[in-house]
Amino acid sequence: MSMNAAIIGVGQSAYVRRPQSGQSTHTFIRDAVVAALQDAEIDGSEIQGMAVTSFSLAPDSAVDLAWRLGLSLRWLLQDTNGGSSAMNMLGHALRGVETGAASPILVVAGDATGLGGYAKIAANYNIATREHLAPLGHGGPNGVYSLVTTRQMNKYGLTKSDYGHMAIAQRAWAAKNPFAVYREPLTMEEYLAAPMVADPLTRYDCVPVVAGAQAIIIAHPDRCPRGRAPVQVRAIRNSFNYDNQEGDGLQTGISTFADELWQSAGARPADIDVASIYDDYPAMVLAQLNDLGMIPDHDLAAFARREIGERRVPINTWGGMMSAGQPGGPAGGLNGISEAVLQLQHRAGERQVKGARRAVTTGYGMTMYRYGGTAAAAILERME
Amino acid sequence: MSAGVGIWRCRKCGIGYFPERLLCSRCHGHDFIPDRVDEGVVEEITVIRHVLGQTDWQPRRLANVRTVNGPRITVGLRDESGPGAVVELFEEGNAPFGAAKSAP
Repeated sequence: MSMNAAIIGVGQSAYVRRPQSGQSTHTFIRDAVVAALQDAEIDGSEIQGMAVTSFSLAPDSAVDLAWRLGLSLRWLLQDTNGGSSAMNMLGHALRGVETGAASPILVVAGDATGLGGYAKIAANYNIATREHLAPLGHGGPNGVYSLVTTRQMNKYGLTKSDYGHMAIAQRAWAAKNPFAVYREPLTMEEYLAAPMVADPLTRYDCVPVVAGAQAIIIAHPDRCPRGRAPVQVRAIRNSFNYDNQEGDGLQTGISTFADELWQSAGARPADIDVASIYDDYPAMVLAQLNDLGMIPDHDLAAFARREIGERRVPINTWGGMMSAGQPGGPAGGLNGISEAVLQLQHRAGERQVKGARRAVTTGYGMTMYRYGGTAAAAILERME
Repeated sequence: MSAGVGIWRCRKCGIGYFPERLLCSRCHGHDFIPDRVDEGVVEEITVIRHVLGQTDWQPRRLANVRTVNGPRITVGLRDESGPGAVVELFEEGNAPFGAAKSAP
């Protein structure tokens, strides 16, 4: 647990489906950084460290971004772990502040690939994808997770409408998030009637690609603006290549550390008020919740129908990537952390979960061949 | 097109891999023998009906296939084989495909 490091500010850019002329990954990142600095009441000249992740920053790298942002730093990190990059950077930044390497540290993620750019990234995600999947016409991660979703449906007796409960619940949250790209209510009839993308995944199971960026600031809790509770990370754990792609993908790397995570945080699943679960696909939200021990008796179908369908558990209260949009996996992961911070600081506006004190956030990503190879989770707590 | 799909089998412990690895995940041996798997059983299928950036896309079938004494491989299906079917495997370039086993 980090005692001398906390999340003290968050900021984001606009999210748009199609970037306009003059908008780029860099400008979205700039907008998020400006918002986070204002939110934390910190001047850019005070920033000593920066962590960044993006699929579309190249050919620039982290130091180029520091240059463009006018930041002279003594701590710099560039992460490449996709949907768990944000969690990974959070852990490094906490340790950076805690050990005195740098403070404050800016953590930022953003992408503006456009739809065509995203398709190119998806087809060239790694060597295995480029050589063995793309030539099949696998359609990027949709093709991979359609097979994983079928496996999950067969193993746990899930129906299509079970996943629909999640899409509908998150859309209801998105209606209260002014940054979300899709805010109109979604009905089960609309969900079930949506065009098939990759059987059994339909349009509302696949995250909409957007352009946008997120930023958070880590510093000593004393730097938190007056009248606002800093957010402490009680425990954080990561996993990389946990099973060499030799399993069925229905467990994630979270399964390797969940017990240790809860023990280290001094908390139980029942203590959680808000959950930000990386939602590249509905099946992976259920898989991560199951790995975290948050689904009683591993009954995924009952959990989807009751806890999610009846809105008993606040999950992805910003609308998740499924409704708010996915500005590349990295920024999508950071959005979940930002939302947890807003909820724990009681600044989430219309979507505020009353009295929220503890949150769990996760990251999941890097679809290496048959499913994702990186995963992370953290327990966040409001410091009183 | 060539019959079977090339895999890499650890010389030390015999485990077969696809795609190629640098070290065996079981014994961390570094020496692999090229091998081929000729058939497998279809476990799950999907049909890719829409792809970002493509306007005249024709649906394509993909399957997760369990090979005998080998790894699970994602293949393109060239026919209507469904879960449980035994398919013959073949390669086009580096990409693995499958189709129903022809009658002897």
